[in-house]
Amino acid sequence: MIRIFEIEWLKLKNYRVFWVLFALYFLGLTIVCSSGMFLMEFLKSKGADLNGVDPTILPLYDFPDVWQNVTYVATFFKLFLAFIVIISVTNEISYRTLRQNVIDGLSKKEFLISKLALIVSLSSLATIFLFLQGLIMGLIYSKVGGLKYIFSSLEFFPAYFLEVCTFLSLAFLLSILIKKSGFVIVLLFMYTLIFEPFVVVNMEHNPHIPNTMDWIIPYLPIKSLNNLIRVPFPKYVLMRIQDYVALVDILIVAAWLFIYNYLVLVIMQKRNV
Amino acid sequence: MNSILKINNLTKHYGKIKAVENLSLEVQEGNVYGILGPNGSGKTTTLGMILDVVKPTSGEYSWLNAGSKSQSRKKIGAILETPAFYPYLSAVRNLKIVAKIKENGAENIEPVLKQVGLFDRKDDAFKTYSLGMKQRLSIAAALLADPPVLILDEPTNGLDPQGIAEIRELIKNIASQGKTILFASHILDEVQKVCTHFTVLKSGKKVYDGNVEEVMNQNKKIEVASENLEELKSIVSGFGDLESLENESGKLIIKLMNGSDSIDLHKYLIDKGIVLSHLSERKSSLEQKFLNILKESDD
Ligand SMILES: Nc1ncnc2c1ncn2[C@@H]1O[C@H](COP(=O)(O)OP(=O)(O)OP(=O)(O)O)[C@@H](O)[C@H]1O
Ligand SMILES: [Mg+2]
Repeated sequence: MIRIFEIEWLKLKNYRVFWVLFALYFLGLTIVCSSGMFLMEFLKSKGADLNGVDPTILPLYDFPDVWQNVTYVATFFKLFLAFIVIISVTNEISYRTLRQNVIDGLSKKEFLISKLALIVSLSSLATIFLFLQGLIMGLIYSKVGGLKYIFSSLEFFPAYFLEVCTFLSLAFLLSILIKKSGFVIVLLFMYTLIFEPFVVVNMEHNPHIPNTMDWIIPYLPIKSLNNLIRVPFPKYVLMRIQDYVALVDILIVAAWLFIYNYLVLVIMQKRNV
Repeated sequence: MNSILKINNLTKHYGKIKAVENLSLEVQEGNVYGILGPNGSGKTTTLGMILDVVKPTSGEYSWLNAGSKSQSRKKIGAILETPAFYPYLSAVRNLKIVAKIKENGAENIEPVLKQVGLFDRKDDAFKTYSLGMKQRLSIAAALLADPPVLILDEPTNGLDPQGIAEIRELIKNIASQGKTILFASHILDEVQKVCTHFTVLKSGKKVYDGNVEEVMNQNKKIEVASENLEELKSIVSGFGDLESLENESGKLIIKLMNGSDSIDLHKYLIDKGIVLSHLSERKSSLEQKFLNILKESDD
């Protein structure tokens, strides 16, 4: 196991593209997570008022609400991590190093595990980083203190970890299937940001589409990921939100996680490499 | 002798293309096995199947030197077609990955790079190498874990004459240590020089399988010449053990039946009072045999 992890590390540690994407992810995340207050100041200066509330007094970073807020915002940045996985996997195909690895004695299962090790490492680092980010911002801005509040609602972090792992596994599967990094990136982008949201919006709101199929929505690959951590912000205009992670959502995502990796294994066993 | 590889009715179809058809083969420990065949005859596909990167349509193979298939591949050094390495990594870093995969050979990195003449460039990225240097790195990778079995698919592809000679020496050297080598090549001269056995594939089918030494002796020919070639020809025609007789640029090329050799022929000619201006034995080349095999298999 450690050997497989080391193999993946040897492949990546001197690969500049990997470090650039990694840095972009952290940079982007840091900027977005830390700029909540500046954003509110900006809104105020533009004369925005949220139902008569001054935006700068919104407790964005109060414990424990900060946890849901940062994990929700960070959702969008998982695409950067997906790039890393896509490039790492499609490189192995275009350089023919996957084939050479197998020739040298790596089993296809071990190859799968080596990429899973990458996925789990990226997801863990992202989760830990996000926690530190939230903690720092909370310690600076939170009007609520005390360990009791700081260490509540932490289930958003395992949920975030699961979400990133699953999304990266989807990127892994698409990379194995399609092989060309450009196509995979475009497809994953289009599907995640445009195609599935478009379908969901139509199913929910288009009067010409009957609602009998709506039950399927929470099971869709991206929707199910987004359901893990719900939008927290409407609560600031006093709307009800789901401020916990639902077990059923976890089960659906876990099922996808399993399916993606199982499919990768089946495809790799069947195919010439 | 022990078998190290058994191939049983291995078949690979790509759609309509029958890349390999019902191939059976057994390789003994210590054999140097040449795999010959025209372009597209299925050599690389066969080697790909026994290295688990091409999925056979049917049939099976087994390596008898280790438990699982990936475990036995760790004890094989293999080059299959083009060199495949991480372009952004240096030779040393690429070989570190190979050693990690094979769980062996990390301490051999510098020696093998010296052996293939890449030591001076060991810290340069693979993508900056010339074709021949890339090929040399493949050979270094194959030798890294000092494996008992080597599979070399056209290992001298892209090498300069010196490199070709070096690789040939290397193969001979490794073979003399009792290692098993499977070797696909188009350079028949090379196969003839290093191989103990060879097999010929044509359109995915095995059309010949045999021992190099035997074939060479079987097809031994004798060249003779004298002042009067016509007279010589008619007298040689009367020799009992004659199999064939050809005229080639002022010499007669004679093939005798098994069991009689040039001494018998010479005695016969002396008895007939012939004085030869030339007498030599010509071992047939593998190339001729190879071309014959292909021609015969057409019929
Ligand atoms: N991935 C593939 N898809 C379709 N056909 C293939 C594929 N790989 C090989 N073939 C076909 O299988 C046959 C055997 O190819 P193979 O590469 O094994 O030949 P070879 O004996 O190694 O030839 P060469 O001497 O040119 O290296 C050829 O007809 C080739 O076109
Ligand atoms: Mg070939």
